[in-house]
Amino acid sequence: MTSFAVALDLLREAAARRWFLALGLALTGLLMLLLTSLRLEVVDGALAASRLFGQPLYHSIQAADVALRPVFLVASQIVFWGGLAFGVLSCADFAPALLSPGRIEHLLSLPVRRWELLAGTFLGVLALALAGAVYASTGLVLVLGAKTGVWTGWPVVSAALAAVAFGSVYAGMLAVTVWVRSAALSAATGAALVVLGLLATHRTTLLDLMGQGVGRALFASVTGVVPPLGKLADAAGALASSAPLAPGGLLRLLAGTVAFAGALLAVAMWRFDRRDF
Amino acid sequence: MSAAFAVTSLHKRFRTQFGRTESVALDGVDLEVPRGEAFGLIGPNGAGKTTFIKCLLGISHPDSGSVELLGSRPQDPRSRARVGYLPERLTLPGAWTPRAFLASVTRLKRLPPERSTIDSLLERVGLTDAANRKIRGFSKGMRQRLGLAATLVGAPDLLVLDEPTDGVDPLGRVEIRQLLGGELARGATLFINSHLLSETERICTRIGILSRGRLVRAGPLEVLTAVHQRWRVRFADGSAPAAEALVALGFEPAESDAWEIAAADAPALNRALDGARAAGALLVELERASRDLEDVLTEALAAGAA
Repeated sequence: MTSFAVALDLLREAAARRWFLALGLALTGLLMLLLTSLRLEVVDGALAASRLFGQPLYHSIQAADVALRPVFLVASQIVFWGGLAFGVLSCADFAPALLSPGRIEHLLSLPVRRWELLAGTFLGVLALALAGAVYASTGLVLVLGAKTGVWTGWPVVSAALAAVAFGSVYAGMLAVTVWVRSAALSAATGAALVVLGLLATHRTTLLDLMGQGVGRALFASVTGVVPPLGKLADAAGALASSAPLAPGGLLRLLAGTVAFAGALLAVAMWRFDRRDF
Repeated sequence: MSAAFAVTSLHKRFRTQFGRTESVALDGVDLEVPRGEAFGLIGPNGAGKTTFIKCLLGISHPDSGSVELLGSRPQDPRSRARVGYLPERLTLPGAWTPRAFLASVTRLKRLPPERSTIDSLLERVGLTDAANRKIRGFSKGMRQRLGLAATLVGAPDLLVLDEPTDGVDPLGRVEIRQLLGGELARGATLFINSHLLSETERICTRIGILSRGRLVRAGPLEVLTAVHQRWRVRFADGSAPAAEALVALGFEPAESDAWEIAAADAPALNRALDGARAAGALLVELERASRDLEDVLTEALAAGAA
């Protein structure tokens, strides 16, 4: 329960930050623009042509849900990668602020266990990421649903997947902050994890290109642990566009991502519990 | 009376990242503070006062020694739930109002954040008018008052205050002293770490002096400041005989028209007083000669350095 109280405080703090207000306004503005400008015409249950800002997307007559696949696919990729980038930049300061002198001493003097503080911070950031992703995707679903009559909840599920991916990145950012209290280092760690996640997606191909040696072994071990974010993004796109997806593969991906985040959080909590302030 | 806290043989060293010993912050501190007492810890900068508090509350981990906080370990949240701590430089969330901050502290103390309780706390520290203002616009004194309000959440049994009157104007200091007096009357224990010796003297009944990580003096204020075998006397205006006569009896002039005399025991003191009365002096005041805390601190530090 105390972790939820810490998470709630983090959300209050985020609500007072201009970054997040700007994000909320930008998302709302974009959705309003789509609502008023997007022209999609449905004839007899089929889409005669899907036009985005006047430009035809498809010329052949297709079922509305099939015609909308590319729209949902692109939207899910924007939510996934844009969300990761925004999250890394905007959330980098939360943990360093929590550990700032004069604040952490006061928090640690309260009847809060150290792990609860870290867990609460992680949960708060995860809730923030989830709220942003769900708000954007729900808005998109509503706009497209109102225009085409195609109502699907999968883009929202896909956005939740993006939030899970960000959770694994933020666990790394949090772990680094417990050692060195620096927002810049936290953001750099997040960016590095995103790049490593991309490299991990193409791990097999890249390993084939590398010669034997320490560098290859290092690359193999690092990318073997980091969640393949590209694969997660592909899965999110497939979910959003209702394309076929191997359920076992997605579950394995999710399990690996959650395990990675859990391991980093465990390391962070171990260190935090022993640290002096 | 049971102890609010007891520390035994507390050692703490700060090390560099590679393990080389950098400095000794606490070097075998033993201290027990009974419940309901106002204890002041004084000492120069770098003496280890803040480190002591951090070890006491589980914020830092001592290298060795034991800490018992309200009958339990400081790592036990149940013991910390009964403690109110004001750090030396409390960082407050600037975008929040005092009400939101106190509500957060209340929730983290696992208490219901009732508006009436929070408003009452703000009233006690004189921040009612600023209840809806953003904290970022607060002066240093207002921040200090809000920090003090946060320590009072849940009526804790032990208040640990690091420089509680820092940045507060003289009138505000009087109010804070009254507030702390109220907490003492309620039965709370006060542990104050302050550079302001006069403030410490006014609030605390027992004092500890920390120097280079060691507790070099500890005891009741009147005992620490008392000067053994010396007495201060005052005679009625116009009744005192010539100064030479009093000096001949062993009296020495002191400040504010008072006199001091060294007397090994009560009969010796009374013999001197009888001599003065026989010379026509009328005694109106007699007390043990005492020093102020600054003298005690200076002497203790000099003895510790020797």
